[in-house]
Amino acid sequence: MNSYVGKQITLFQFISIISGSQVSVAVLNLPRKLSEAADTDGWIALIIGWALSLIAGLAIVGVMKYYPNGTLFDLLSEYMGRWAGVLAAMLFALYFFYLMYDGLVRTILVTKTWLLPTTQSFVLMSLLLIPAYSIVRHGIRNVARYAELIIWISLWIPFVYIYTLKHAHWVYLLPLLKEGWLPILTAVKATIYPMLGMVSIFILYPHLKYKEYATKGIVIANSITMLLYLFVTIICYVYFSPEESHLFNDPVISVLKSIEFKFIERIEVPFISFYLFIFSLIWIPMMYLLTYCIAWIFKRESIGIPLRLLIILLAVGTFFYFPTYNINNFLVRQLFWVGLILEYIFPVCLLCYLWLSKFWKEERSSL
Amino acid sequence: MPDNNTEQNIPHSDRISADLKENLAKIQRLFTETPDMVTRHLTIKQSGKQALLIYIDGLNDKAAINENVLRPLQQEMGENSQEIAVTVGHVEHLYSWEKAEIGLFQGNSLLFIDGSERTYSLDTKGWPQRNIEDPQLESSLKGAHQGFLETGDLNIALIRRYLPHRGLKIKRLMVGERGQTTVSILYIEDIANEKYMAKLEQRIRQINVDAIINTGELCEFIEDNPFSLFPQLITTERPDTTASQLLQGRCAVVVDRSPNVLIAPVTFMSFFQNIDDYSSRWTIATFLRLLRVFAFFMAAFLPAFYISVVSYHFEIIPLKLLLTLGESRGQVPFPPFVEAILMEITLELLREAGIRLPAPVGQTVGIVGGIVIGQAVVQAGLISNAMVIVVAFTAISSFILPNYDMVAAVRLIRFILMILASMFGFVGLVIGLMTLIGHILSLKSLGTAYGTPIGPVRLADLKDTIVRVPLWLMDKRPLSTAPKQSIRQRQSRIKEDTE
Repeated sequence: MNSYVGKQITLFQFISIISGSQVSVAVLNLPRKLSEAADTDGWIALIIGWALSLIAGLAIVGVMKYYPNGTLFDLLSEYMGRWAGVLAAMLFALYFFYLMYDGLVRTILVTKTWLLPTTQSFVLMSLLLIPAYSIVRHGIRNVARYAELIIWISLWIPFVYIYTLKHAHWVYLLPLLKEGWLPILTAVKATIYPMLGMVSIFILYPHLKYKEYATKGIVIANSITMLLYLFVTIICYVYFSPEESHLFNDPVISVLKSIEFKFIERIEVPFISFYLFIFSLIWIPMMYLLTYCIAWIFKRESIGIPLRLLIILLAVGTFFYFPTYNINNFLVRQLFWVGLILEYIFPVCLLCYLWLSKFWKEERSSL
Repeated sequence: MPDNNTEQNIPHSDRISADLKENLAKIQRLFTETPDMVTRHLTIKQSGKQALLIYIDGLNDKAAINENVLRPLQQEMGENSQEIAVTVGHVEHLYSWEKAEIGLFQGNSLLFIDGSERTYSLDTKGWPQRNIEDPQLESSLKGAHQGFLETGDLNIALIRRYLPHRGLKIKRLMVGERGQTTVSILYIEDIANEKYMAKLEQRIRQINVDAIINTGELCEFIEDNPFSLFPQLITTERPDTTASQLLQGRCAVVVDRSPNVLIAPVTFMSFFQNIDDYSSRWTIATFLRLLRVFAFFMAAFLPAFYISVVSYHFEIIPLKLLLTLGESRGQVPFPPFVEAILMEITLELLREAGIRLPAPVGQTVGIVGGIVIGQAVVQAGLISNAMVIVVAFTAISSFILPNYDMVAAVRLIRFILMILASMFGFVGLVIGLMTLIGHILSLKSLGTAYGTPIGPVRLADLKDTIVRVPLWLMDKRPLSTAPKQSIRQRQSRIKEDTE
């Protein structure tokens, strides 16, 4: 139903979208969440979380290999009938909306906390929607290029974090496994939310230029994300003492307070402003995916109308209601379950189903 | 000799008559109130027939008419009785008034002979023309000092001097209903991708206007996104730049009567390149390119950055600097935004005032501007010293950019960013930058991505954009132009032992 000619994306753009939407807002409080569950051993949980996300990611790619020239919804329509496709599209539209809204809300809350405490939420929301609209309306290719470019221009950020190592106390990391494996396993729960976003492969896959690299792509993307989290988490752990590290809401930002340059003080202010770019890597791709889902349901090629409606809905909606930090945290906790089902369990089950149905078909034809 | 054998298709009323008197009457009827048209009766010596020569005074080379047309016709006997014995370069046989008229106003002279139902259109073009000069907007230090002129054919000749090869093809189109303009598309056949050719031609053919006065007008009709602030096509005054771009697989459009040549397709980074980059050493060229990118950001963002720091985020300024700034701003009655707008507007006024004033008067603008901006405003306590520095820095940065159209875009973007910064501080700046990036990524030039090689990232093309690597390492033509033949050179440098 859709043609993908002239809408192809490269492997690096594919990786950028996935990694970008995973990292974006989640990185801010990940170290705190990990340390709440497992103290300074939290980083081990990251590796386990990474292994889990790899399984899920490979399952998603595995599913898409059954129908390489269409999205998940085309696949479901093919295998189970159009109703299944529509159902899935509605479900995923809601899910992408959830992810996008969470990203936007988190961005606005962080901005209000650190930069513009007196500005009203709906003003900030409208402000954020301007670039989002101008990027998303030109389609997947533009979104992919944007993600790619932002990844490139953000490469310097980790180097600034290395500066904080001046104040590092590596002993904080010791002893390893101080309370055994159990806390670490509970901390794995906290690694699910920061890995969400892989599911975009369901829609990106047919756009991928060289589909044989999709597996490689998801492995690289998840590994980049994991390494980044590991880096940030360890930096936070060696900087804050074990007691301190749950006190800060966004330790990733607070850690920057220690950095001093001759020419600039309070480096976290320009940093948070720059972080808006990284935060945008969740809401911009998700906005595209969401509008794609809606356009798919109505069998439309262009995403123009749903996108405009969405923008108006968000801007007007924020005028009447905007979540607080507590509600946002509640949303994130719910997102954990939703994400776990849609990104981890659903692809694995679907893969099993597809494999079995193929197996049965072969069985039948051999009889 | 070209013979327009389309007699059957010409309607009777448009057909040139065989009777000279009838033709003369028609000429007098058609061209009323045309005092610059010269009509000359003569007798051709060879055949003894009556003839009529008409031309537009001023569009013709009088010497050529006397020497090559009148003298041979009136004095000499040709060997071949079929031919008329003129010695001009190009003679065309025309049967219709319509075509004859176009030729006449393009500077040809028309020869009607009694008994012949056609006219000879003689190429005796010659009009007042300035000499070849150094290009005004794109002067170069080490490159050639020849700029384009107002005659299309001469401009094409200037380009051909750099590319004496039959691969250089020219496609001619006529644009405009009243002031018919010759528009020529130049491309190198085995390099340029034909999809650009087709697109260009299609867009130019679509133009249906009275006349195209300048290349800039043509540009506006064929640009991909007419609402964008950014120029999506380059106009250049330099034949060497044009030749170099043609070799990279792009197309050039020469518009007759305009000293600018259009280059398409281009990328955002093309606007930071200059022909001098290739004639200076690659290290300094790379440095200059980086400097230009820096200057672009300074010119667009510096006032906005200053506004947001002073009005929102003064906590990021180190204490000593903050004290200095505070001292300079203490007297100023305006908020930073008003201060900045005032200064920027003054700067734009001065710049505009200086452009079109004759040189002796222009100096006055400099003096008045210098004193007003530099001293009086600060001494009166209206504007802070820091703001003057910021504005001066912005102005200098914008002068570094080599392309005038891009500078114009930056000037407008600066004001938008200043408004955003005054309302939202750094957040406004980042949103502005984000929208800018999104916009550049979505732009297209003749259907190719405007943002290459930055977005989409094309590592191979980076060699000749933000940096310039040594020429002997640029073995391939840029990917962004999708050339048919991508190898530009092979091993052009001898590797000698360094012992």
